[in-house]
Amino acid sequence: MTAAAADVALKGRVGDPFSSAWRRRLPLLPALVYSIAITQLPFLVSIYYSFTNLKDKTQSLIPEPTKFIGIDNYKQIFSDPFFRQAVWTSVQMTVLAVVLSLVFGTMFALLLDRKFLGQGLVRTLLITPFLLMPVVAALIWKQQMFSSLFGLLDKALTFLGLSSVQFISSHPLASIVTVLVWQWTPFMMLIILAGLQSQPGDVLESANVDGASSLGIFRQLTLPHLRRYLELGALLGSIFIVQAFDAIDVMTGGGPGSTNIPYYVYQESIGGGFRYGSASAYAIVVVVFSIIIATFALRVLSSLFKDEERV
Amino acid sequence: MRRGTRLGVGERRSVVLGVGILAWLVALIWIFPVAWTLLTSFKTEQDAATQTLHQGLSFARYHDIAHSTPGTLSLQTAFMNSLVVVLVSTLIVLLLALPAAYALAIRPVHKWRDVLFFFISTKFLPVVASIFPIYVYAEKWNLIGTRTILIVLYIAINLPLAIWMTRSFFMEVPRELIEAAEIDGTSILNQLRSVILPIAAPGIAATALLCVIFAWNEYFYALQLNFASGSTMPQWVITNVSTRGNFLAKLSAASIVACLPVILAGWAAQKRMIRGLSMGALK
Amino acid sequence: MASVQYDDATRLYPGTTRPAVNKLELTIDDGELLVLVGPSGSGKSTALRMLAGLEPLDDGRILIGGKDVSRIAPRGRDIAMVFQNYALYPNLDVAQNMGFALKQQGVAKEERARRVQEVAQLLDLEPYLDRKPRNLSGGQRQRVAMGRAIVRHPQVYLMDEPLSNLDAKLRVQTRAELVELQRRLAVTTVYVTHDQVEAMTMGHRVAVLRDGDLQQVDPPSKLYHEPANLFVAGFIGSPAMNLLPVSVDHSVKLAGADIRIGGLDGGGRGTLGFRPETVIIGADGPIAARIRLVEDLGSEVFVHLVIEHEGEERRLVAKVDPPFSGKVDDNVRLTLRGTVHLFDAAEARRATVTL
Repeated sequence: MTAAAADVALKGRVGDPFSSAWRRRLPLLPALVYSIAITQLPFLVSIYYSFTNLKDKTQSLIPEPTKFIGIDNYKQIFSDPFFRQAVWTSVQMTVLAVVLSLVFGTMFALLLDRKFLGQGLVRTLLITPFLLMPVVAALIWKQQMFSSLFGLLDKALTFLGLSSVQFISSHPLASIVTVLVWQWTPFMMLIILAGLQSQPGDVLESANVDGASSLGIFRQLTLPHLRRYLELGALLGSIFIVQAFDAIDVMTGGGPGSTNIPYYVYQESIGGGFRYGSASAYAIVVVVFSIIIATFALRVLSSLFKDEERV
Repeated sequence: MRRGTRLGVGERRSVVLGVGILAWLVALIWIFPVAWTLLTSFKTEQDAATQTLHQGLSFARYHDIAHSTPGTLSLQTAFMNSLVVVLVSTLIVLLLALPAAYALAIRPVHKWRDVLFFFISTKFLPVVASIFPIYVYAEKWNLIGTRTILIVLYIAINLPLAIWMTRSFFMEVPRELIEAAEIDGTSILNQLRSVILPIAAPGIAATALLCVIFAWNEYFYALQLNFASGSTMPQWVITNVSTRGNFLAKLSAASIVACLPVILAGWAAQKRMIRGLSMGALK
Repeated sequence: MASVQYDDATRLYPGTTRPAVNKLELTIDDGELLVLVGPSGSGKSTALRMLAGLEPLDDGRILIGGKDVSRIAPRGRDIAMVFQNYALYPNLDVAQNMGFALKQQGVAKEERARRVQEVAQLLDLEPYLDRKPRNLSGGQRQRVAMGRAIVRHPQVYLMDEPLSNLDAKLRVQTRAELVELQRRLAVTTVYVTHDQVEAMTMGHRVAVLRDGDLQQVDPPSKLYHEPANLFVAGFIGSPAMNLLPVSVDHSVKLAGADIRIGGLDGGGRGTLGFRPETVIIGADGPIAARIRLVEDLGSEVFVHLVIEHEGEERRLVAKVDPPFSGKVDDNVRLTLRGTVHLFDAAEARRATVTL
């Protein structure tokens, strides 16, 4: 053992501030400090605002002085029907988008799991929607596909002799979910594909020798193996999709069927309402619920963190 | 004797061919909106509006967007802004995430689970909620419309994912190699450089790519905290949207140009991304 | 229970010019344990996988029980296979692993449980029936892999180096148990290994493969005493046979001494082969030698020697019963007594004498 290493070990035993525990923490600190500073400080400020009636004074006719109003903002939340609507829309949007993109992603991954001519090119084409800017993706669907003036889908419908459909105005939620699924399916596909390819080949061969059909192998061995990957996809996908903003702003600009929680909070604050105090309260409520749900979900999805303890 | 066969025992050529064809069909359908937009970008506005092709194809729309009228946001400005913001923020993210991942994977702190959960939880607060306090302080410190504020925010946005992924890749490094390095008394920096990074390199490349994708495509913070000369590519694309929608071809060209860098980066790095993911991002 | 036949079976991997398995002709009798042995790249694993249906045939046929199965997928061949890394199903416990094939066949739950229990008892796996593979030791996993195959009562067992991942002591023990089991169950077994000691101790017959070609298939003793060619002679037996290039006129000279061995007309070059046990070390004898190294294993002693043959220094190994009093750098005299082979320039065995 070198002198330096012996030094460290000795210091560890004496409980020095430069003991082993702190040496372990040191590399973590820059990222941790940065994250706390940039994300928690606004959070704390938001908490403060949520107890006030802070508004943009230039926007209202009768200027009100900013004052501390306790939990009035919070009380108002639970009697706000529009918020409940936004929550319900958020749930629908997120669940539909996550589930559909997982299903499509798994199907595409199964297709890509075998070798065929041009497999690499097919994969390249399939992941492209994920690489697009969300605003561009939304614009493409809004203008090129859905639009009742120029849209291709519309032209296709009239070509087939069916009546034209106002996709975005009549089915706002479905339109937005379509764009989300189109963009996020490749992400799920890559995760599931990784899962499929991490299956040991000889296990699948053994199942074949033991008499299992292709469907049987998929059901009894592959799906259980994929469970971790499906869970990871659902978790990561939910975290991103629940925050969906760009598509809504571009396609519908809000509106009863398509406003999710982030958009609702946006409308409440700098998106038109300028009621920063109450918007903050909404945000805080959302964060608290997210943490509760996530803690519960992570306990259930324990397979993600079921790692051997590293010493 | 025949040439060696590629079919498995009992596999029918028709089935294998069928799967390949199905995959191609699916891919073509999936990419169709993008392909159509690409086509539209070469059309005249009249053709674009009616979805026809009477007036031929040209690069005219691309010429239009590359030469903007003075006083409006130019492609070149927005591109430079995006480039700087994305590269600097990604670089700093990696500089912060690599040591953090070391502290969560190689020589873990005792509360690593809680730390990971904390980082993920920073993504629970909707971006829209924190925007007002951020705006207030950004204004106070004269950061509105600068690249700096975006860099600072994008680092915070990408850090959780970068740490999670990098940690997983570090977990793939065989224990014996690390123990050997520790016995040799190698410092953390040298351990990283000579042992860990070479093995985790594909995964780190995948992580960097994802950070680049998210940072380049980010719209909300840019919209709220930028104006005119500080704008990034997403904002520049939106400037091409006219309320009358008569400029579909120009918008298509703008969309293609805006997305092209990330698309090319993604295409080039996809093998690495997949290899990185299957290597153990999923632990 | 069935016989197995390779009829001109060939496998050529796409993009290669040399077949991995080249026109293999081999018949395995019902109830026989045949070992496929050879160095890596010899095609033994490929040949096994062709029998399993995991590799397609590019030419020839494979028959099981007289039926041509060349185009039938593995699941339809009624075979059981033990893989080198065991390939246990990770999400199923030991009992479910062993009962997997029965479940695919639609065997009823109680019957499955009964048969699994029976085999578990046979292999001492009862305490582990509800454990998952990741909670088992290497030796336990190996037994589960065996049990999974035994429970099925297939026509043929296929084993791909099943012992190579076990530690040395466990390997020797399991080897004996395996042979006993096979003799008792009397099911046709095709066993692949690179270890010639395993081959010699386990097989009813042993097939030696090299670069895709079958060199010889015979009972172990015949392989040892009557190798068909130079490769087999050098591959079988440990320590390896002493092999020395010689000129063949009317007699053969080894280090200046005459060896009375005929069989090659017209002279030319050949190789003389004799096993360590034929080298007698003494104070007198026709061949001069110097001791390089003495390996005393207790029950036997291997002496590494240097002789001068055809102007060059050559090494020999002699096997001696203890006690042996020679030391390094001692000068001794050697006599050959026992079986000596002569191989021609094409490496075929042409003559054998007993001195």
